Amino acid sequence: MSDLEDFKTRLKIAKSKLQKRKSQNSEKKGIFLGNAFKLGTELIAAVIVGTIIGFILDSWFDTKPLLIIIFFIFGSVAGILNIFRAAKKMQEDEK
Amino acid sequence: MATNPMHQFKVYKIGPKIEISGIDLSFTNASLFMLISGAIIGLFFLLGTKEKKIIPSKIQLISEMIYNFIAKMISDTAGKKAKPYFPFIFSLFIFILVCNMVGMLPYSFTVTSHIIVTLTFALFIFIGVTILGFIMHGFKYLKIFVPSGVPLVLLPIISIIEIISYLSRPVSLSVRLFANMMAGHTMLKVFGGFVISLGLIGGWLPLSFSVALTGLEILVAFLQAYVFAILTCIYLNDALNLHH
Repeated sequence: MSDLEDFKTRLKIAKSKLQKRKSQNSEKKGIFLGNAFKLGTELIAAVIVGTIIGFILDSWFDTKPLLIIIFFIFGSVAGILNIFRAAKKMQEDEK
Repeated sequence: MATNPMHQFKVYKIGPKIEISGIDLSFTNASLFMLISGAIIGLFFLLGTKEKKIIPSKIQLISEMIYNFIAKMISDTAGKKAKPYFPFIFSLFIFILVCNMVGMLPYSFTVTSHIIVTLTFALFIFIGVTILGFIMHGFKYLKIFVPSGVPLVLLPIISIIEIISYLSRPVSLSVRLFANMMAGHTMLKVFGGFVISLGLIGGWLPLSFSVALTGLEILVAFLQAYVFAILTCIYLNDALNLHH
């Protein structure tokens, strides 16, 4: 079992070294960058989806520019809602 | 042709044309690089789990680290109930990561820079999560479109907005990965083209930019795989634990 004992002491030394380096800091930076990428597309995707739904409904009911405008606005609202929720989640995670 | 920055995204056939009932199923360079990525993953984890030592070898250590990383991410974001879906999220993350990283090699092809690939991933997740939600909660799952405490007059409008927000998930998921990979690789190619056209005198500045961008691209490649996996966890969490 001397192998295991030896490993335990080496693990302890390595762990204390790691704590000094504060590796958590860089990990958090990566998450922030990930969040930044997330927010941009979240807004645009909802607007795109809303507009496409409006376009499809328009060609179904033959009401050309009306529904596409309404659903564009709905899509924008949904996009803002998406961002609002994502931001709220980020704040919760930080606490 | 070689200086065209979009040339690298071209899909071409390798070998004979295969067509089954009108659908073109030929083997392309995209399929080849997917196979290469799959082979790398398989070989890596085969080697990593071959010898289970107390003091791990480097390759065993890395594969254990990846395992722990995903296991922690799932338990942090989706809770204990998401444990059965660990294999799916793990393979999703590792496949996107390796595809992105293989794409960073010169003369290779980035599978994830094509929207059809990322959209397939995203739609698979979206449909799977929706079915899962209905299995777990029945018709109560529709409650996510009806937030509590909304006046009855506003309810139709809010529901439409919620449905659009829900439908935008696969779009944002796929467009994010595709756009990041494509934009990054195009930028790398454009700066690489500048080095050639400016020659020995002026080429050093774009060359240094290229080096910096390569580092950034490797970070983005990892980060996009991570974001994709973590968003899958979040969507899974919404389906498993209803709270609205």
